[in-house]
Amino acid sequence: MLKIHNRYHRYLNRTGWGFIAPALLFYLVFMLYPIGSSLFLVTQKWRGMSREFVGLGNFVRMAHDQVFWKALSHNFLFMIIQIPLMVFLAMVIAVILHQGIKRFRGIFRTIYFLPVVTSLVAYSILFRILLQTNGLLNNFLLSLRMIAEPIGWLNDPFWAKITIILALTWRWTGYNMVFFLVGLQNINKEIYEAAEVDGASQVRQFFTITLPLLTPVILFSLVTSTSGTMQLFDEPNVLTWEGGPANATMTAALYIYRQAFVLNSDFGYASALSYVMVIIAALLAFIQIKVLKERQ
Amino acid sequence: MAIVRRKMTPGWFILLVFFVIGALLSLFPFIWMVIGMTQNPNDVVAGKLIPGKEFALNWQKISTTYETVSFFLNSMKIAFITVILGIAVNSLAAFGFEKYPSKARDRVFGVLLLTLIIPQMAIVIPLFKEISFMKLLNTHAAIILPSVMSVFIIFFLRQNFKMFPTEIMEAARVDGAAELSIFVFIVIPTMKATFASASIYMFLTQWNSYLWPLMTILTDKMKTLPIAMFSVMRAYTIEYGGLMILVCISTFPILVLFLAMQKQFVQGLTGSVK
Repeated sequence: MLKIHNRYHRYLNRTGWGFIAPALLFYLVFMLYPIGSSLFLVTQKWRGMSREFVGLGNFVRMAHDQVFWKALSHNFLFMIIQIPLMVFLAMVIAVILHQGIKRFRGIFRTIYFLPVVTSLVAYSILFRILLQTNGLLNNFLLSLRMIAEPIGWLNDPFWAKITIILALTWRWTGYNMVFFLVGLQNINKEIYEAAEVDGASQVRQFFTITLPLLTPVILFSLVTSTSGTMQLFDEPNVLTWEGGPANATMTAALYIYRQAFVLNSDFGYASALSYVMVIIAALLAFIQIKVLKERQ
Repeated sequence: MAIVRRKMTPGWFILLVFFVIGALLSLFPFIWMVIGMTQNPNDVVAGKLIPGKEFALNWQKISTTYETVSFFLNSMKIAFITVILGIAVNSLAAFGFEKYPSKARDRVFGVLLLTLIIPQMAIVIPLFKEISFMKLLNTHAAIILPSVMSVFIIFFLRQNFKMFPTEIMEAARVDGAAELSIFVFIVIPTMKATFASASIYMFLTQWNSYLWPLMTILTDKMKTLPIAMFSVMRAYTIEYGGLMILVCISTFPILVLFLAMQKQFVQGLTGSVK
Protein backbone atom coordinates (compact mmCIF):
# COMPACT_ATOMS: atom_id res chain seq x y z
CA MET A 1 0.00 0.00 0.00
CA LEU A 2 2.78 2.38 0.97
CA LYS A 3 4.60 1.48 -2.23
CA ILE A 4 1.65 2.49 -4.37
CA HIS A 5 1.33 5.67 -2.40
CA ASN A 6 5.00 6.55 -3.00
CA ARG A 7 4.79 5.76 -6.66
CA TYR A 8 1.75 8.01 -6.96
CA HIS A 9 3.64 10.84 -5.28
CA ARG A 10 6.56 10.43 -7.61
CA TYR A 11 4.13 10.52 -10.52
CA LEU A 12 2.62 13.80 -9.29
CA ASN A 13 6.09 15.20 -8.72
CA ARG A 14 7.13 14.33 -12.25
CA THR A 15 3.94 15.91 -13.57
CA GLY A 16 4.78 19.07 -11.67
CA TRP A 17 8.20 19.27 -13.30
CA GLY A 18 6.63 18.47 -16.65
CA PHE A 19 4.25 21.40 -16.33
CA ILE A 20 6.96 23.92 -15.58
CA ALA A 21 9.53 22.46 -18.00
CA PRO A 22 8.63 24.55 -21.09
CA ALA A 23 8.73 27.76 -19.06
CA LEU A 24 12.06 26.77 -17.53
CA LEU A 25 13.50 26.10 -20.97
CA PHE A 26 12.54 29.59 -22.16
CA TYR A 27 13.80 31.02 -18.89
CA LEU A 28 17.15 29.32 -19.28
CA VAL A 29 17.70 30.41 -22.87
CA PHE A 30 16.33 33.95 -22.79
CA MET A 31 16.93 34.98 -19.18
CA LEU A 32 19.61 33.04 -17.33
CA TYR A 33 21.96 32.66 -20.29
CA PRO A 34 21.98 36.41 -21.12
CA ILE A 35 22.48 37.24 -17.44
CA GLY A 36 25.41 34.84 -17.27
CA SER A 37 26.95 35.96 -20.53
CA SER A 38 26.89 39.59 -19.41
CA LEU A 39 29.58 38.60 -16.90
CA PHE A 40 31.79 37.98 -19.92
CA LEU A 41 30.58 40.96 -21.95
CA VAL A 42 31.36 43.37 -19.16
CA THR A 43 35.08 42.56 -19.20
CA GLN A 44 35.41 43.41 -22.89
CA LYS A 45 35.68 46.56 -24.90
CA TRP A 46 33.77 46.17 -28.15
CA ARG A 47 34.31 48.00 -31.41
CA GLY A 48 31.68 46.57 -33.72
CA MET A 49 32.77 42.97 -34.22
CA SER A 50 36.24 43.21 -32.67
CA ARG A 51 36.85 43.24 -28.94
CA GLU A 52 39.63 43.35 -26.38
CA PHE A 53 39.84 42.30 -22.75
CA VAL A 54 39.78 45.26 -20.36
CA GLY A 55 38.98 43.55 -17.06
CA LEU A 56 37.34 46.09 -14.79
CA GLY A 57 38.25 48.89 -17.20
CA ASN A 58 34.62 49.53 -18.09
CA PHE A 59 33.82 50.28 -14.47
CA VAL A 60 36.75 52.70 -14.20
CA ARG A 61 35.55 54.44 -17.34
CA MET A 62 32.03 54.58 -15.91
CA ALA A 63 33.22 56.37 -12.78
CA HIS A 64 34.35 59.28 -14.95
CA ASP A 65 31.36 59.30 -17.27
CA GLN A 66 29.57 62.49 -16.27
CA VAL A 67 26.81 62.14 -18.83
CA PHE A 68 25.80 58.79 -17.37
CA TRP A 69 25.59 60.09 -13.81
CA LYS A 70 23.69 63.10 -15.04
CA ALA A 71 21.30 60.78 -16.87
CA LEU A 72 20.84 58.72 -13.73
CA SER A 73 20.15 61.87 -11.73
CA HIS A 74 17.33 62.65 -14.16
CA ASN A 75 15.70 59.32 -13.32
CA PHE A 76 15.70 60.32 -9.67
CA LEU A 77 14.52 63.82 -10.47
CA PHE A 78 11.52 62.44 -12.40
CA MET A 79 10.89 60.00 -9.58
CA ILE A 80 10.89 62.63 -6.86
CA ILE A 81 8.72 65.16 -8.69
CA GLN A 82 6.49 63.18 -11.03
CA ILE A 83 5.49 60.23 -8.86
CA PRO A 84 4.13 62.22 -5.88
CA LEU A 85 2.30 64.57 -8.26
CA MET A 86 0.71 61.66 -10.10
CA VAL A 87 -0.19 59.69 -6.97
CA PHE A 88 -1.77 62.78 -5.45
CA LEU A 89 -3.84 63.42 -8.58
CA ALA A 90 -4.82 59.75 -8.81
CA MET A 91 -6.08 59.85 -5.23
CA VAL A 92 -8.06 63.07 -5.68
CA ILE A 93 -9.68 61.77 -8.86
CA ALA A 94 -10.54 58.48 -7.21
CA VAL A 95 -12.08 60.22 -4.18
CA ILE A 96 -14.21 62.47 -6.40
CA LEU A 97 -15.30 59.47 -8.48
CA HIS A 98 -16.10 57.40 -5.44
CA GLN A 99 -17.68 59.91 -3.08
CA GLY A 100 -18.14 63.17 -4.92
CA ILE A 101 -20.33 62.52 -7.91
CA LYS A 102 -23.53 60.61 -8.39
CA ARG A 103 -23.90 60.37 -12.14
CA PHE A 104 -21.62 59.70 -15.09
CA ARG A 105 -19.29 57.84 -12.75
CA GLY A 106 -18.59 55.00 -15.16
CA ILE A 107 -17.97 57.41 -18.02
CA PHE A 108 -15.51 59.53 -16.06
CA ARG A 109 -13.70 56.46 -14.78
CA THR A 110 -13.37 55.11 -18.31
CA ILE A 111 -12.14 58.45 -19.64
CA TYR A 112 -9.52 58.79 -16.94
CA PHE A 113 -8.29 55.27 -17.61
CA LEU A 114 -8.18 55.78 -21.38
CA PRO A 115 -4.56 57.06 -21.65
CA VAL A 116 -3.38 53.65 -20.42
CA VAL A 117 -4.45 52.04 -23.71
CA THR A 118 -2.06 54.16 -25.80
CA SER A 119 1.36 52.83 -26.64
CA LEU A 120 4.20 54.86 -25.16
CA VAL A 121 5.45 55.67 -28.65
CA ALA A 122 2.01 56.75 -29.90
CA TYR A 123 1.33 59.16 -27.08
CA SER A 124 4.89 60.46 -27.14
CA ILE A 125 4.43 61.31 -30.81
CA LEU A 126 1.12 63.05 -30.12
CA PHE A 127 2.65 65.09 -27.31
CA ARG A 128 5.67 65.90 -29.46
CA ILE A 129 3.44 67.44 -32.12
CA LEU A 130 1.16 69.22 -29.65
CA LEU A 131 4.10 70.74 -27.77
CA GLN A 132 6.08 72.11 -30.70
CA THR A 133 7.01 75.75 -30.38
CA ASN A 134 4.33 76.72 -32.92
CA GLY A 135 2.08 73.85 -31.83
CA LEU A 136 -1.36 73.65 -30.30
CA LEU A 137 -0.53 74.15 -26.62
CA ASN A 138 1.55 77.27 -27.19
CA ASN A 139 -1.08 78.70 -29.56
CA PHE A 140 -3.77 78.02 -26.99
CA LEU A 141 -1.84 79.60 -24.11
CA LEU A 142 -0.92 82.59 -26.29
CA SER A 143 -4.52 83.14 -27.30
CA LEU A 144 -5.56 83.14 -23.63
CA ARG A 145 -2.69 85.59 -22.97
CA MET A 146 -1.42 83.25 -20.26
CA ILE A 147 2.07 83.47 -21.77
CA ALA A 148 3.72 86.34 -23.65
CA GLU A 149 5.89 84.22 -25.92
CA PRO A 150 5.94 80.54 -26.93
CA ILE A 151 7.43 78.12 -24.42
CA GLY A 152 10.19 75.80 -25.65
CA TRP A 153 8.51 72.63 -24.38
CA LEU A 154 10.93 70.51 -26.41
CA ASN A 155 13.88 72.86 -26.94
CA ASP A 156 14.51 74.33 -23.53
CA PRO A 157 16.39 72.13 -21.05
CA PHE A 158 14.15 73.15 -18.16
CA TRP A 159 10.82 72.94 -19.99
CA ALA A 160 11.76 69.64 -21.64
CA LYS A 161 11.93 68.09 -18.19
CA ILE A 162 8.52 69.56 -17.39
CA THR A 163 7.26 68.07 -20.65
CA ILE A 164 8.38 64.59 -19.62
CA ILE A 165 6.73 65.03 -16.22
CA LEU A 166 3.45 66.20 -17.76
CA ALA A 167 3.45 63.40 -20.31
CA LEU A 168 4.11 60.70 -17.71
CA THR A 169 1.37 62.14 -15.54
CA TRP A 170 -1.10 62.08 -18.44
CA ARG A 171 -0.25 58.47 -19.26
CA TRP A 172 -0.16 56.92 -15.76
CA THR A 173 -2.56 58.80 -13.45
CA GLY A 174 -5.58 56.76 -14.53
CA TYR A 175 -3.64 53.56 -13.97
CA ASN A 176 -2.88 54.49 -10.36
CA MET A 177 -6.44 55.72 -9.89
CA VAL A 178 -7.62 52.11 -10.14
CA PHE A 179 -5.68 51.13 -7.01
CA PHE A 180 -7.28 53.99 -5.10
CA LEU A 181 -10.76 53.05 -6.28
CA VAL A 182 -10.22 49.53 -4.97
CA GLY A 183 -8.90 50.97 -1.71
CA LEU A 184 -11.89 53.27 -1.32
CA GLN A 185 -14.33 50.41 -1.90
CA ASN A 186 -12.79 48.60 1.03
CA ILE A 187 -13.46 51.43 3.47
CA ASN A 188 -16.48 50.74 5.62
CA LYS A 189 -19.27 53.27 4.87
CA GLU A 190 -20.42 53.28 8.49
CA ILE A 191 -17.28 55.15 9.50
CA TYR A 192 -18.43 58.07 7.37
CA GLU A 193 -21.97 57.86 8.71
CA ALA A 194 -20.65 58.02 12.26
CA ALA A 195 -18.50 61.02 11.37
CA GLU A 196 -21.53 62.66 9.74
CA VAL A 197 -23.50 62.22 12.98
CA ASP A 198 -20.62 63.78 14.91
CA GLY A 199 -20.86 66.75 12.57
CA ALA A 200 -17.44 66.38 10.97
CA SER A 201 -17.08 68.47 7.81
CA GLN A 202 -16.24 66.80 4.49
CA VAL A 203 -12.74 68.22 4.49
CA ARG A 204 -12.23 66.91 8.00
CA GLN A 205 -13.62 63.52 7.02
CA PHE A 206 -11.11 63.34 4.19
CA PHE A 207 -8.13 64.07 6.42
CA THR A 208 -9.19 61.98 9.41
CA ILE A 209 -10.78 58.98 7.71
CA THR A 210 -10.05 58.69 4.00
CA LEU A 211 -6.39 59.69 3.96
CA PRO A 212 -5.20 57.46 6.85
CA LEU A 213 -7.10 54.47 5.47
CA LEU A 214 -5.64 55.01 2.02
CA THR A 215 -2.04 55.16 3.26
CA PRO A 216 -1.29 51.56 2.20
CA VAL A 217 -2.53 52.33 -1.32
CA ILE A 218 -0.47 55.52 -1.44
CA LEU A 219 2.64 53.58 -0.48
CA PHE A 220 1.84 50.85 -2.98
CA SER A 221 1.41 53.38 -5.77
CA LEU A 222 4.57 55.24 -4.83
CA VAL A 223 6.77 52.18 -4.74
CA THR A 224 5.38 50.44 -7.83
CA SER A 225 5.90 53.57 -9.89
CA THR A 226 9.57 53.83 -9.00
CA SER A 227 10.69 50.84 -11.05
CA GLY A 228 8.94 52.19 -14.16
CA THR A 229 10.58 55.58 -13.74
CA MET A 230 13.93 53.91 -13.18
CA GLN A 231 13.59 52.27 -16.60
CA LEU A 232 12.27 55.34 -18.42
CA PHE A 233 13.16 55.01 -22.10
CA ASP A 234 10.38 55.52 -24.67
CA GLU A 235 9.39 59.07 -23.71
CA PRO A 236 12.86 60.66 -23.64
CA ASN A 237 13.72 58.88 -26.88
CA VAL A 238 10.59 59.85 -28.81
CA LEU A 239 8.97 62.82 -27.10
CA THR A 240 12.03 64.94 -26.27
CA TRP A 241 14.05 63.23 -28.99
CA GLU A 242 17.01 61.12 -27.93
CA GLY A 243 17.24 62.61 -24.47
CA GLY A 244 17.45 66.16 -25.80
CA PRO A 245 17.82 69.07 -25.73
CA ALA A 246 21.53 68.72 -24.91
CA ASN A 247 20.96 65.60 -22.76
CA ALA A 248 18.51 67.52 -20.55
CA THR A 249 16.13 64.53 -20.53
CA MET A 250 18.71 61.78 -20.98
CA THR A 251 17.92 58.81 -18.73
CA ALA A 252 20.09 55.88 -17.66
CA ALA A 253 18.32 53.33 -19.88
CA LEU A 254 18.41 55.60 -22.91
CA TYR A 255 22.11 56.35 -22.40
CA ILE A 256 22.91 52.64 -22.17
CA TYR A 257 20.94 51.98 -25.34
CA ARG A 258 22.81 54.73 -27.14
CA GLN A 259 26.18 53.39 -25.99
CA ALA A 260 25.35 49.97 -27.40
CA PHE A 261 23.41 50.83 -30.54
CA VAL A 262 23.85 54.42 -31.61
CA LEU A 263 27.22 55.81 -30.58
CA ASN A 264 29.96 53.20 -30.19
CA SER A 265 28.27 49.79 -30.31
CA ASP A 266 30.24 49.04 -27.16
CA PHE A 267 28.28 46.26 -25.49
CA GLY A 268 30.87 45.80 -22.75
CA TYR A 269 30.54 49.33 -21.54
CA ALA A 270 26.76 49.20 -21.92
CA SER A 271 26.71 46.05 -19.77
CA ALA A 272 28.81 47.71 -17.09
CA LEU A 273 26.37 50.65 -17.02
CA SER A 274 23.41 48.30 -16.82
CA TYR A 275 24.94 46.71 -13.70
CA VAL A 276 24.45 50.04 -11.97
CA MET A 277 20.77 49.92 -12.95
CA VAL A 278 20.49 46.40 -11.56
CA ILE A 279 22.02 47.45 -8.24
CA ILE A 280 19.71 50.44 -7.93
CA ALA A 281 16.70 48.34 -8.92
CA ALA A 282 17.64 45.75 -6.28
CA LEU A 283 17.96 48.46 -3.63
CA LEU A 284 14.61 49.94 -4.61
CA ALA A 285 12.99 46.50 -4.53
CA PHE A 286 14.47 45.90 -1.08
CA ILE A 287 13.03 49.20 0.18
CA GLN A 288 9.69 48.42 -1.47
CA ILE A 289 9.39 45.07 0.26
CA LYS A 290 10.40 46.60 3.60
CA VAL A 291 7.91 49.44 3.35
CA LEU A 292 5.01 47.25 2.17
CA LYS A 293 5.69 44.57 4.78
CA GLU A 294 5.88 47.05 7.63
CA ARG A 295 2.52 48.46 6.61
CA GLN A 296 0.86 45.09 6.64
CA MET B 1 -31.31 64.40 -9.76
CA ALA B 2 -28.20 66.34 -9.02
CA ILE B 3 -25.00 65.09 -10.61
CA VAL B 4 -23.17 65.83 -7.41
CA ARG B 5 -23.73 63.92 -4.24
CA ARG B 6 -22.54 66.47 -1.72
CA LYS B 7 -23.75 69.88 -0.71
CA MET B 8 -22.29 72.30 -3.19
CA THR B 9 -19.68 74.44 -1.47
CA PRO B 10 -17.33 76.78 -3.41
CA GLY B 11 -14.44 74.44 -2.67
CA TRP B 12 -16.25 71.46 -4.15
CA PHE B 13 -17.30 73.47 -7.15
CA ILE B 14 -13.71 74.43 -8.00
CA LEU B 15 -12.55 70.84 -7.45
CA LEU B 16 -15.26 69.59 -9.80
CA VAL B 17 -14.30 72.11 -12.47
CA PHE B 18 -10.73 70.78 -12.37
CA PHE B 19 -12.09 67.23 -12.37
CA VAL B 20 -13.98 67.87 -15.60
CA ILE B 21 -11.02 69.69 -17.16
CA GLY B 22 -8.81 66.73 -16.23
CA ALA B 23 -11.20 64.34 -17.95
CA LEU B 24 -11.20 66.52 -21.06
CA LEU B 25 -7.39 66.52 -21.07
CA SER B 26 -7.39 62.73 -20.81
CA LEU B 27 -9.77 62.47 -23.71
CA PHE B 28 -8.42 65.21 -25.94
CA PRO B 29 -5.47 63.40 -27.60
CA PHE B 30 -7.86 60.66 -28.76
CA ILE B 31 -10.18 63.13 -30.44
CA TRP B 32 -7.26 65.02 -31.89
CA MET B 33 -5.61 61.96 -33.42
CA VAL B 34 -8.80 61.22 -35.33
CA ILE B 35 -9.08 64.80 -36.55
CA GLY B 36 -5.39 64.79 -37.43
CA MET B 37 -5.83 61.88 -39.86
CA THR B 38 -7.99 64.06 -42.07
CA GLN B 39 -5.82 67.18 -42.13
CA ASN B 40 -2.96 68.34 -44.28
CA PRO B 41 0.42 68.20 -42.49
CA ASN B 42 0.60 71.95 -41.76
CA ASP B 43 -2.72 71.88 -39.94
CA VAL B 44 -1.63 68.89 -37.87
CA VAL B 45 1.47 70.75 -36.69
CA ALA B 46 -0.50 73.94 -36.02
CA GLY B 47 -2.95 71.85 -33.99
CA LYS B 48 -6.09 72.93 -35.83
CA LEU B 49 -9.20 71.30 -34.44
CA ILE B 50 -11.39 71.38 -37.52
CA PRO B 51 -11.47 68.13 -39.52
CA GLY B 52 -9.91 68.42 -42.98
CA LYS B 53 -10.60 66.53 -46.18
CA GLU B 54 -7.23 64.92 -46.83
CA PHE B 55 -7.62 61.50 -45.28
CA ALA B 56 -7.41 59.72 -48.64
CA LEU B 57 -4.35 61.74 -49.63
CA ASN B 58 -2.66 61.09 -46.27
CA TRP B 59 -3.32 57.38 -46.58
CA GLN B 60 -2.02 57.29 -50.14
CA LYS B 61 1.17 59.15 -49.20
CA ILE B 62 1.95 57.07 -46.13
CA SER B 63 1.14 53.73 -47.74
CA THR B 64 3.25 54.39 -50.83
CA THR B 65 6.26 55.60 -48.83
CA TYR B 66 6.04 52.99 -46.06
CA GLU B 67 4.86 49.40 -45.74
CA THR B 68 1.86 50.55 -43.73
CA VAL B 69 -0.22 47.40 -44.10
CA SER B 70 2.77 45.23 -43.22
CA PHE B 71 3.31 47.24 -40.02
CA PHE B 72 -0.20 46.43 -38.88
CA LEU B 73 -0.06 42.78 -39.90
CA ASN B 74 3.40 42.33 -38.32
CA SER B 75 2.18 43.79 -35.04
CA MET B 76 -0.94 41.60 -35.07
CA LYS B 77 0.95 38.44 -35.98
CA ILE B 78 3.64 38.98 -33.34
CA ALA B 79 1.17 39.87 -30.60
CA PHE B 80 -1.12 36.91 -31.33
CA ILE B 81 1.65 34.32 -31.52
CA THR B 82 3.17 35.69 -28.31
CA VAL B 83 -0.17 35.42 -26.51
CA ILE B 84 -0.87 31.87 -27.69
CA LEU B 85 2.58 30.51 -26.87
CA GLY B 86 2.88 32.64 -23.75
CA ILE B 87 -0.44 31.62 -22.26
CA ALA B 88 0.26 27.95 -22.94
CA VAL B 89 3.75 28.01 -21.43
CA ASN B 90 3.03 30.32 -18.49
CA SER B 91 -0.29 28.85 -17.43
CA LEU B 92 1.13 25.32 -17.40
CA ALA B 93 4.02 26.56 -15.28
CA ALA B 94 1.77 28.48 -12.90
CA PHE B 95 -0.43 25.42 -12.51
CA GLY B 96 2.57 23.19 -11.90
CA PHE B 97 3.93 25.54 -9.24
CA GLU B 98 0.61 25.97 -7.47
CA LYS B 99 -1.09 22.57 -7.63
CA TYR B 100 1.92 20.24 -7.43
CA PRO B 101 3.69 21.74 -4.42
CA SER B 102 7.25 20.72 -3.71
CA LYS B 103 10.13 22.42 -1.94
CA ALA B 104 12.41 22.20 -4.98
CA ARG B 105 9.86 23.86 -7.24
CA ASP B 106 9.19 26.57 -4.68
CA ARG B 107 12.88 27.37 -4.70
CA VAL B 108 12.82 27.57 -8.49
CA PHE B 109 9.85 29.93 -8.23
CA GLY B 110 11.83 32.06 -5.80
CA VAL B 111 14.64 32.37 -8.36
CA LEU B 112 12.11 33.38 -11.02
CA LEU B 113 10.71 36.10 -8.78
CA LEU B 114 14.20 37.33 -7.99
CA THR B 115 14.96 38.00 -11.67
CA LEU B 116 11.77 40.05 -11.88
CA ILE B 117 13.79 42.88 -10.32
CA ILE B 118 16.30 43.07 -13.17
CA PRO B 119 15.58 46.03 -15.46
CA GLN B 120 14.80 45.18 -19.06
CA MET B 121 17.81 47.13 -20.32
CA ALA B 122 20.20 44.90 -18.37
CA ILE B 123 18.74 41.80 -20.06
CA VAL B 124 18.44 43.05 -23.63
CA ILE B 125 22.10 44.05 -24.05
CA PRO B 126 23.45 40.48 -23.63
CA LEU B 127 20.25 39.08 -25.17
CA PHE B 128 20.98 41.01 -28.34
CA LYS B 129 24.37 39.29 -28.65
CA GLU B 130 22.69 35.93 -28.12
CA ILE B 131 19.97 36.60 -30.69
CA SER B 132 22.50 37.79 -33.24
CA PHE B 133 24.59 34.69 -32.57
CA MET B 134 21.47 32.58 -33.20
CA LYS B 135 21.15 34.40 -36.55
CA LEU B 136 17.68 35.62 -35.58
CA LEU B 137 18.24 39.34 -36.08
CA ASN B 138 15.59 41.00 -38.23
CA THR B 139 13.15 38.12 -37.79
CA HIS B 140 9.87 38.14 -35.91
CA ALA B 141 11.06 35.14 -33.91
CA ALA B 142 13.58 37.49 -32.32
CA ILE B 143 10.70 39.50 -30.90
CA ILE B 144 8.40 36.60 -30.04
CA LEU B 145 10.69 34.00 -28.43
CA PRO B 146 12.16 36.12 -25.60
CA SER B 147 8.71 37.38 -24.57
CA VAL B 148 6.96 34.00 -24.37
CA MET B 149 7.96 33.26 -20.78
CA SER B 150 6.86 35.98 -18.40
CA VAL B 151 7.54 35.71 -14.69
CA PHE B 152 4.91 38.31 -14.04
CA ILE B 153 2.24 36.30 -15.88
CA ILE B 154 3.25 33.08 -14.09
CA PHE B 155 2.94 34.94 -10.80
CA PHE B 156 -0.42 36.45 -11.75
CA LEU B 157 -1.85 33.11 -12.87
CA ARG B 158 -0.49 31.29 -9.85
CA GLN B 159 -2.21 33.76 -7.53
CA ASN B 160 -5.48 33.09 -9.32
CA PHE B 161 -5.04 29.31 -9.42
CA LYS B 162 -4.98 29.40 -5.61
CA MET B 163 -8.73 29.93 -5.86
CA PHE B 164 -9.25 26.73 -7.83
CA PRO B 165 -10.37 24.02 -5.38
CA THR B 166 -7.96 21.08 -5.24
CA GLU B 167 -10.87 18.77 -4.30
CA ILE B 168 -12.20 19.04 -7.84
CA MET B 169 -8.85 17.78 -9.12
CA GLU B 170 -8.99 14.86 -6.65
CA ALA B 171 -12.47 13.97 -7.82
CA ALA B 172 -11.39 14.03 -11.46
CA ARG B 173 -8.41 11.80 -10.62
CA VAL B 174 -10.71 9.27 -9.02
CA ASP B 175 -12.65 9.31 -12.27
CA GLY B 176 -9.42 8.46 -14.03
CA ALA B 177 -8.64 11.80 -15.67
CA ALA B 178 -5.03 12.43 -16.67
CA GLU B 179 -3.31 15.44 -15.09
CA LEU B 180 -3.03 17.36 -18.34
CA SER B 181 -6.68 16.81 -19.20
CA ILE B 182 -7.69 18.05 -15.75
CA PHE B 183 -5.91 21.25 -16.61
CA VAL B 184 -7.18 21.56 -20.17
CA PHE B 185 -10.78 20.45 -19.68
CA ILE B 186 -11.58 21.53 -16.13
CA VAL B 187 -9.28 24.35 -15.02
CA ILE B 188 -9.14 26.40 -18.23
CA PRO B 189 -12.93 26.50 -18.82
CA THR B 190 -13.69 27.50 -15.22
CA MET B 191 -11.06 30.24 -15.14
CA LYS B 192 -11.78 31.96 -18.43
CA ALA B 193 -11.78 35.44 -16.92
CA THR B 194 -8.30 34.94 -15.47
CA PHE B 195 -7.01 33.68 -18.80
CA ALA B 196 -8.63 36.65 -20.55
CA SER B 197 -6.89 39.10 -18.20
CA ALA B 198 -3.51 37.45 -18.70
CA SER B 199 -3.98 37.32 -22.49
CA ILE B 200 -4.90 40.99 -22.63
CA TYR B 201 -1.86 41.92 -20.59
CA MET B 202 0.46 39.91 -22.85
CA PHE B 203 -1.17 41.23 -26.01
CA LEU B 204 -0.92 44.84 -24.88
CA THR B 205 2.69 44.51 -23.74
CA GLN B 206 3.77 42.96 -27.02
CA TRP B 207 1.64 45.26 -29.21
CA ASN B 208 3.21 48.31 -27.57
CA SER B 209 6.75 47.03 -27.12
CA TYR B 210 9.31 49.38 -28.54
CA LEU B 211 12.81 48.96 -27.09
CA TRP B 212 13.46 45.34 -28.11
CA PRO B 213 11.98 45.55 -31.64
CA LEU B 214 13.94 48.77 -32.12
CA MET B 215 17.12 46.80 -31.45
CA THR B 216 16.36 43.68 -33.46
CA ILE B 217 14.36 44.79 -36.51
CA LEU B 218 16.34 46.40 -39.28
CA THR B 219 14.24 46.49 -42.45
CA ASP B 220 11.06 48.41 -43.14
CA LYS B 221 9.03 45.38 -44.16
CA MET B 222 9.61 43.64 -40.82
CA LYS B 223 8.74 46.60 -38.60
CA THR B 224 5.98 46.70 -36.00
CA LEU B 225 3.79 49.76 -35.48
CA PRO B 226 5.73 51.40 -32.62
CA ILE B 227 9.09 51.34 -34.41
CA ALA B 228 7.40 52.22 -37.71
CA MET B 229 5.89 55.34 -36.12
CA PHE B 230 9.32 56.21 -34.81
CA SER B 231 10.85 55.90 -38.30
CA VAL B 232 8.14 58.10 -39.81
CA MET B 233 8.83 60.69 -37.11
CA ARG B 234 12.53 60.51 -37.82
CA ALA B 235 12.27 61.00 -41.62
CA TYR B 236 13.59 64.15 -43.25
CA THR B 237 10.12 65.27 -44.27
CA ILE B 238 7.59 64.04 -41.77
CA GLU B 239 4.25 62.88 -43.16
CA TYR B 240 2.23 64.24 -40.26
CA GLY B 241 -1.18 63.27 -41.64
CA GLY B 242 -0.01 59.74 -42.37
CA LEU B 243 1.67 59.57 -38.98
CA MET B 244 -1.67 60.32 -37.35
CA ILE B 245 -3.18 57.43 -39.31
CA LEU B 246 -0.49 55.13 -37.89
CA VAL B 247 -1.11 56.46 -34.38
CA CYS B 248 -4.82 55.66 -34.79
CA ILE B 249 -4.09 52.20 -36.21
CA SER B 250 -1.89 51.48 -33.23
CA THR B 251 -4.36 52.83 -30.66
CA PHE B 252 -7.78 51.71 -31.82
CA PRO B 253 -7.47 47.92 -31.60
CA ILE B 254 -6.45 48.31 -27.96
CA LEU B 255 -9.17 50.88 -27.37
CA VAL B 256 -11.82 48.48 -28.70
CA LEU B 257 -10.39 45.65 -26.62
CA PHE B 258 -10.54 47.88 -23.55
CA LEU B 259 -14.10 49.07 -24.13
CA ALA B 260 -15.30 45.54 -24.88
CA MET B 261 -13.66 43.87 -21.88
CA GLN B 262 -13.10 46.65 -19.35
CA LYS B 263 -13.12 44.42 -16.30
CA GLN B 264 -10.60 41.84 -17.50
CA PHE B 265 -8.54 44.60 -19.08
CA VAL B 266 -8.16 46.54 -15.84
CA GLN B 267 -7.57 43.36 -13.85
CA GLY B 268 -4.88 42.17 -16.23
CA LEU B 269 -3.08 45.50 -16.20
CA THR B 270 -3.19 46.10 -12.49
CA GLY B 271 -2.18 42.56 -11.56
CA SER B 272 -3.82 40.44 -8.94
CA VAL B 273 -4.67 43.30 -6.61
CA LYS B 274 -7.99 42.70 -4.98
